[in-house]
Amino acid sequence: MWSALDKMPAPATTYERIVYRNPSEHHYMKVCLEFQDHGVGLNVAQFKQLLISALKDLFGEVAAALPLDVLTYEEKTLSAILRICSSGLVKLWSSLTLLGSYKGKKCAFRVIQVSPFLLALSGNSRELVLD
Amino acid sequence: MVRFKHRYLLCEVVSDDPRCRLSLEDRALGGLIRDTIARVHGTFGAASCSIGFAVRYLNAYTGIVLLRCRKEFYQLVCSALPFITYLENKGHRYPCFLNTLHVGGTIRTCQKFLIRYNRRQLLILLQNCTDEGEREAIQKSVTKSCLLEERSDEEELSDSGGEEAAEAME
Repeated sequence: MWSALDKMPAPATTYERIVYRNPSEHHYMKVCLEFQDHGVGLNVAQFKQLLISALKDLFGEVAAALPLDVLTYEEKTLSAILRICSSGLVKLWSSLTLLGSYKGKKCAFRVIQVSPFLLALSGNSRELVLD
Repeated sequence: MVRFKHRYLLCEVVSDDPRCRLSLEDRALGGLIRDTIARVHGTFGAASCSIGFAVRYLNAYTGIVLLRCRKEFYQLVCSALPFITYLENKGHRYPCFLNTLHVGGTIRTCQKFLIRYNRRQLLILLQNCTDEGEREAIQKSVTKSCLLEERSDEEELSDSGGEEAAEAME
């Protein structure tokens, strides 16, 4: 009576192993633009244009087409939070480093914080004031 | 061992205009490719690709071009080739594109590929040709290349295959 059941093959179990090396696809950068002489203002469109042209100078059309977002921008302090896909982080950071001037005026980008998680940019232990 | 490794890109210039292939020049083409890499990959691409870059072989009749670049940056060169849309010569612009046929580590492997490719192209031309005189000429070249192929198969162990290969390359 049990012979039919014995002849059935046992079901094969399949395993799938997924390894995430970096769980986040984007990297977030908190940057600040400093000019040599004060009194220079940029609105958010000009700021993004500056970033794209910096990428285009150093890494060409391919890098200028990377999906770059300006998440927040403060015109008074010229600081912003940028989001870039993780494969483009090195290109963006190096083109920000090598950017020297905007419309003939000398300027420099200060990178304050970089993190794969946006929440980490809310607190910065370097700006912590200990009483 | 310590040596600079290169990649050789075998490309074909494809164009509607028959005058485009005849106006191929190695320096003009090299300059055009460098400009295109600078446009697509920026200062970094232009600097990294131009160190080992050279146009090694150019055939104006068949439109075959052999480019050399360093192994670490050959992907930048490969990805910039589709952005070449025209060839400029003496003020005339001919629209064309570069078709990459083979990527090899040495000139010899590219040469071997080119011989096999040319043989296949001869057979395709034989099928498509319409004129009787052309048909006879192509049939003669096909039989000649088959004889050379048999001879080079027999003598494969010896190194004289390079001479026949140079003859068979148009």
